Amino acid sequence: MKARHVAALVIIAAVVMSVALYMPHEQEKTRLKVIYAGSLIVPFEEIEKQFESQHPGVDVQMEGHGSIQVIRQVTDIHKEGDVLAVADDSLILDMMYPDYSDWTVRFATNQMVIAYNNKSKYGDEINESNWYEILARPDVKFGFSNPMLDSCGYRTLMVTQLAELYYHNKTIFDDLIVYNFDPQISVTKNGNTYIVLVPEVFEPRAEKVVIRGGSVQLIALLDYGGVDYAFEYKSVAQQHGLMFLELPAQIDLSSPEYEDVYKKVIVRLGFQRFASVDTERVGMPIFYGITIPKNAPHPELAAEFVKFVLSKEGQRVLRDLKQPTIPPVTDNFDKIPDELRAVVIKDISRKEER
Amino acid sequence: MKGDSKARRLLSILVIVVVCVGIIGAVAYTHPFVGITEERINWNLTLIGEEEKVLPFDEIRAMPSYGGYGGFFTTVGMVNGPFKCKGVPIEELCTLVGGFNASNTLWVSAPDGYLMVFPYDQVRGNFVTYDPATLREVPHGDLKMILMYEQDGKLLSEDDGRPLRLAIVGSDKLLTEGHYWVKWVDKIEVRT
Repeated sequence: MKARHVAALVIIAAVVMSVALYMPHEQEKTRLKVIYAGSLIVPFEEIEKQFESQHPGVDVQMEGHGSIQVIRQVTDIHKEGDVLAVADDSLILDMMYPDYSDWTVRFATNQMVIAYNNKSKYGDEINESNWYEILARPDVKFGFSNPMLDSCGYRTLMVTQLAELYYHNKTIFDDLIVYNFDPQISVTKNGNTYIVLVPEVFEPRAEKVVIRGGSVQLIALLDYGGVDYAFEYKSVAQQHGLMFLELPAQIDLSSPEYEDVYKKVIVRLGFQRFASVDTERVGMPIFYGITIPKNAPHPELAAEFVKFVLSKEGQRVLRDLKQPTIPPVTDNFDKIPDELRAVVIKDISRKEER
Repeated sequence: MKGDSKARRLLSILVIVVVCVGIIGAVAYTHPFVGITEERINWNLTLIGEEEKVLPFDEIRAMPSYGGYGGFFTTVGMVNGPFKCKGVPIEELCTLVGGFNASNTLWVSAPDGYLMVFPYDQVRGNFVTYDPATLREVPHGDLKMILMYEQDGKLLSEDDGRPLRLAIVGSDKLLTEGHYWVKWVDKIEVRT
């Protein structure tokens, strides 16, 4: 009798164990998918931790890409995403409106700088008025990311072309860019606008200029002396403890005040890497944008997350980790989720502005 | 006494069954099956050069294959691989439509609208390679650009670019930049 009871208990245990293994876990956390631009990796890892600690039933799943790829995950590859955050808010308007989203909130900004370290040649000499001469010296190597692949890359071309206007020096772009590539990069002038034409094949002529896919590789190169200087976003340079030279606001793409100046440079890319995005990039101030796709699996929780990013607490996290913020503004106040109305303080009309 | 011994035997069997169910369940739960084994794949690759050819997946798989190791990292530094990769050398595919030389570029695209253009030296295997542990640039031996259909002995999964993905492989277990690894390749064009 006793053994039979034990046997019965074992059978029950086996059934319970099997059911427990194959049934969905009641305790399973809700997975909130956040797809973000690579330059936000450091602050968004901290945002993830803090949001999860305030929402114990949520597992925030972070996925980083270049900004265009962030949006393509939803629009072209048809993956599900709850929140998208990109380093160029105009991409949300261009690629997602009206089918996948109809609002954006600008929440952060950035500026182009020249990063270096204590091993960089002439690092003790470089300043706002001589940087282009130092970079052009024969024994100096510098790097930037491929404009076909990375927004920091085409923004580097904008900065160097804008520098010609700011410093009244017509050789800066030629000395730093044109002569160092084969096939050459050309610039044509149309009225007051300069159009930089990037060839299909973007290859440096010699070792003076180093091109890599993104910031990660350039920072590593700086670290072990592969280059002396690299064009980077200020936030990335600071997050990696690099020294950096700030450039004049007229050329560093940071200030809405100089929007009309920035617009004077257009970069036309050599091939259409993404069928859904055209090849022209117009100089504009750098604004990060965040949105929730219309087909987000967890729209309410996504709104909670965005609200946290835009809250004073979230903005402090961003700033503490060297990501400059701006007061959150939207282009479509009527369409943003109700929860966000308390943290988005201003309405702008992006369409008129553009 | 006899009844007790029968019950004990029954008990032992049940304990073994429970342990086996537990182990199988745990393994199935922690190692979900993601690869694709044998199945008919309906996919065509369009090759454009001096002439145009459409190759069904089965024909590509029947071509002489090349195997090697390769992996990549993403924009945010996430490392994938290195994997054991198997596929057809891109240069072999180009040979079918007139070949590839120094005046050409290679345009590789996919139905999701992604396109990459490769110059001659890259098609010949001239890439910067990285150590998977440190992401530092390291020298490499011969590299080959292949159209991969098998990764770690299995056909590619959808997320990995099923059924055809561009891969850069060699005998060293190194990484290249992820944007070269075009997924879901359905068109390769040799342009002058």
